[in-house]
Amino acid sequence: MSAPAFLGAGLHTALGAGVARNIDALFQPLPRPVLQEIKTPEESVGAPALLLHGRPLENIEARFWQAAEAVVGEAIEAAGLTRDEAREAALVLGTSSLDIAVSEAIYARELAEGEDAYPLTSNSTMGRLAQRLRQAHGVRGPEYTICTACTASANALIYANMLVATGLVRHAIVVGVEIFNIITALGFQSLELLSPHGMKPFDAKRAGLTLGESCAALVVGPSNKPGAFHLRGSANLCDIFGISAANPDGSTVADVIRMALEDAGLAPEQIDGIKAHGTASLLNDEAEAAGMRLVFPKLPPVCALKPFIGHTFGACGVTELILFCGMAERGFFPATPGICAEPSDDLDIRLPQTPQALAPGVFQLNFFGFGGNNTSLVIANAD
Amino acid sequence: MPIEITVRAHGDYYAPVEGAPPDVRELSKQTLGKQVRRVGRFIQLALIGAARCVGTQTPPAHTGIYMSSRRGDLETNLEVLEQFFKHGHTPKPLNFINTVSNASCYYVARHFGLHGRSCFVTGVCFSFEMALQAALLDMQAGVVRSALVGGLDTVAAPLEIDRRRLGLNAQTPVSEASHWLWLEARAPAPGETTLEAVEAFADRDALAAWLKRQSFAPEKTLLAEGQYLAPADARALRGETALTRAFAYRESLAYYDGQAGAALGAYRATADLDGTALAHINGDAEGRFAAIVARRSA
Repeated sequence: MSAPAFLGAGLHTALGAGVARNIDALFQPLPRPVLQEIKTPEESVGAPALLLHGRPLENIEARFWQAAEAVVGEAIEAAGLTRDEAREAALVLGTSSLDIAVSEAIYARELAEGEDAYPLTSNSTMGRLAQRLRQAHGVRGPEYTICTACTASANALIYANMLVATGLVRHAIVVGVEIFNIITALGFQSLELLSPHGMKPFDAKRAGLTLGESCAALVVGPSNKPGAFHLRGSANLCDIFGISAANPDGSTVADVIRMALEDAGLAPEQIDGIKAHGTASLLNDEAEAAGMRLVFPKLPPVCALKPFIGHTFGACGVTELILFCGMAERGFFPATPGICAEPSDDLDIRLPQTPQALAPGVFQLNFFGFGGNNTSLVIANAD
Repeated sequence: MPIEITVRAHGDYYAPVEGAPPDVRELSKQTLGKQVRRVGRFIQLALIGAARCVGTQTPPAHTGIYMSSRRGDLETNLEVLEQFFKHGHTPKPLNFINTVSNASCYYVARHFGLHGRSCFVTGVCFSFEMALQAALLDMQAGVVRSALVGGLDTVAAPLEIDRRRLGLNAQTPVSEASHWLWLEARAPAPGETTLEAVEAFADRDALAAWLKRQSFAPEKTLLAEGQYLAPADARALRGETALTRAFAYRESLAYYDGQAGAALGAYRATADLDGTALAHINGDAEGRFAAIVARRSA
């Protein structure tokens, strides 16, 4: 059987609906986050967010399902799966907050209607989201929902790829979903990690993150197409330094980067570019920069994609992978104009200011999450 | 040469719940030898089950953790939702962080000093099977050589509301459980249990074709019917496979979501099964299936 490759994708972020629109937008100026007002008894909190393009924050239940189901359909169509192939495929979902936005909306409505309401009575089963996405497209293969915070859909790709590589399934649909919800917004507000002025990873003026929304899907399956992007290596490790931050000395970040390189059978100097996690928080960028420095004697070009779409948490793995592959397939390495043009004193990382010409090659994409979950992917469109 | 996966140990917590779910802090302290602070019952129960599994041994630092649960840390999530939507209090930072499902994996890893793979898997009917499959995939790929696989399901007060969430009637007995397996990539010693396969099937035909290929010897194979397997499917399975030796591990269990997590521990704890295989078949309401196959070495 041919080795697994990425066959087709679907994507809806703040940049637009559809993969092509998203890639087009990476050549445009960075979008500005919009403050979403959340009223508490004491105050009104403005949570900076980049919501799904064309889907304002209203009719929460409908917007969630419509967006999520559509991207899975887009990916299946782009991959050219027949109905029978889709039926037998696995669906591997990576998400942090599942469909909690829907549960919040239902609970708030029931409380407002004066009912003796309790949360999560409409759905407390975490697998319902994947089940619904699977059923919407007639998929009956193995179904995983992986919840490892911000590495969730990157880890979903690892297992999807393994399911295909071992022959347990012929195709696997990797899905990443993260939708604006009040608890996540207030949680990050309580951690003082939200920045109203957009994300500036590795920049001297970095001040935190913007909440991002994304629904993303990627079909993995056999391909004989020369130059098709595929997962060449990967690693996932638990960092027990802290539940909400990687070890700032970079050692645990370096461990997972090295392990992914080893899995890919590559030396650091063979990596042609890095997509950093880049949450723009003080400590995590410090740990990530230190980790990269420990592994790479000479750092390859580094990019960050969250300034375009916000932090899409559990969905960022497959979302940023699709964005990166889309840019690379057009022959460009992504740029973030105005961010980290000059290396900051403490981190010594520079990000491209204009999209750079990029040949096929081997690239490393890094993701780090709460719960000490660190993941690194090595992808290639050339050997 | 395929890599053999041996079940080195198993450990369980199981307790029927009547009235309020129990405070397990003292049990956690006794089991772990210290108090783990600022965590809820879900994480405490994860730690208790994992600690009972490894006993006095110390897992290697590269051990991977695979946890499954159908509803995750429901109590923490309920608390955060009620605090804000009902009482207007914003989430406290640690409460918010502990809402991430893999927080339980983190605390288990930290307690045992582990820094291998860490994965939290959930699903509607096959949560435990898919976590076990993830571990098996990693071990057969040579990525992981030691793994702790846990299945954990809890209830939340008030129970009458939680029974409604679970779709149970008011009289159905409910329970909480934390089942753990310690897997190692090595050949088994005589009398040890190996994990041979974890597979999912789109329909009955696919399951039947797979079962046929396994060539189970009826006299040397136990058939365990999973929690969500429809009675009609169970009858059909028995007829099609001629596997008439039942392994009834669930009969005394009050309801909880992930009873598949108890199967391998119960099989492992049953005497006089050397050379006997276990085929555990689960099903869902859509007519999909999942199978676990284990074998006791002679």
